[in-house]
Amino acid sequence: MSEENEKIDVKSICTNIIGIGRNYKDPSKEFIPTNEDPFIFAKPIRSIITEGSSIQIPKGWGSIIHEVELGVVIGKTAKFVKEDSAMDYVLGYVLALDMGRCLDLTKYPILLHKGFDTACPISDFIPKSKVKDVNNLSLKLTVNGEIRHDGNTRDLIHGIPKLISYLSSYFTLEYGDLILTGTPIGISTVKHGDLIEASLADLAKVKFPVIELQ
Amino acid sequence: MSSKVIRVKEICRNIIAVGRNYAEHAKELGNPVPQGNPLIFGKPVSSIITEGSIEIPQGWKELHHEVELGVVIGKSGKFIQEEQAMDHVLGYVLVLDMTARNIQDQLKKQGHPWFLAKGFDTSCPISNFICKSAVKDVNNLNLQLTVNGVLKQNGNTQDMIFKIPNLLSYISKYFKLEYGDLILTGTPSGVSAVKHGDVIEAKLDDLVQMKYPVIEHGN
Repeated sequence: MSEENEKIDVKSICTNIIGIGRNYKDPSKEFIPTNEDPFIFAKPIRSIITEGSSIQIPKGWGSIIHEVELGVVIGKTAKFVKEDSAMDYVLGYVLALDMGRCLDLTKYPILLHKGFDTACPISDFIPKSKVKDVNNLSLKLTVNGEIRHDGNTRDLIHGIPKLISYLSSYFTLEYGDLILTGTPIGISTVKHGDLIEASLADLAKVKFPVIELQ
Repeated sequence: MSSKVIRVKEICRNIIAVGRNYAEHAKELGNPVPQGNPLIFGKPVSSIITEGSIEIPQGWKELHHEVELGVVIGKSGKFIQEEQAMDHVLGYVLVLDMTARNIQDQLKKQGHPWFLAKGFDTSCPISNFICKSAVKDVNNLNLQLTVNGVLKQNGNTQDMIFKIPNLLSYISKYFKLEYGDLILTGTPSGVSAVKHGDVIEAKLDDLVQMKYPVIEHGN
């Protein structure tokens, strides 16, 4: 059974990618909780790429920003799921990069700037059973060898059960769907010729070169 | 002509919608008409329904209807040139881009994306598929919507600001389009609120019509 899981190709089973923004505390500052609902957006499934492909900045954009995230892969149809049973709906995880255009996203429609082709690079699938504690996973990203993100999932504001419960109250989540759970601090820009490397604890490692389309 | 029935819900893996693509609709909501490029946003494929009711999420009380021409892609393409764009079209559907306007306004105030207000389950009711060959002139199709029998929207695709070849060319610069993808091309003026118990009927010229009752979840 677990061998079967390891062959899962998320790109071919995914019908929906929901991204969560503003979902990490800054561990260097005091966290003041708000009552705000999760900040949610979507990326088209076509934006997914896996290792071997390059991140392609659309012609003329110059640079884009990187975010490194824990991706949760749904294992069965989820609607109106309660928080205490939410983890039963998780099939496994991926390490994901949420690439986007460097604009004030509160002013611009988000589909183009977060959803362009290659804006969602992901690692191989990680079965749920391989993860001892999903609330204590390091998330790291370097650009050309320099550390940009160095966070941990313990700093998530809305945790996975809350996200699955909240999202499934409005959207039916299906087997293969992907939830990008947010990025720790450290967002910066990348341009043509840069190399991004990222890791999720000792579970996944990825490397993606960045090019700008001519 | 193939006799295979196309079920758009089964083949669609991407929905890209165009906002403010009819000048009168932009005006009625106090929005600027887009200068330069089309305004695009997404709806998840989980929002498509082909039967049953439109369900207002519990507590939201009302939704706005937006009747639109939907274009179904037949041939994949990236960087599609305008002159070849119509070769990539498989056919059409009539679509309602259901929108929680009050939620959308709240989200805009908070600086949040529109996705929740536009993408909730049942927010994309569609008609049966219409073959491209059944449409004589896609730039002269009447779009009509009634609520409880009262005419609310009555527009024509000739008033689209960005026409289909322009839209496919622009969208395919950033997103590779695949067989089954659905492009919603915008709504004419006349959007209004619907609540639990209302019935929406819509027509695309004499090609197709559809009827969807509206219920509020938990009511």
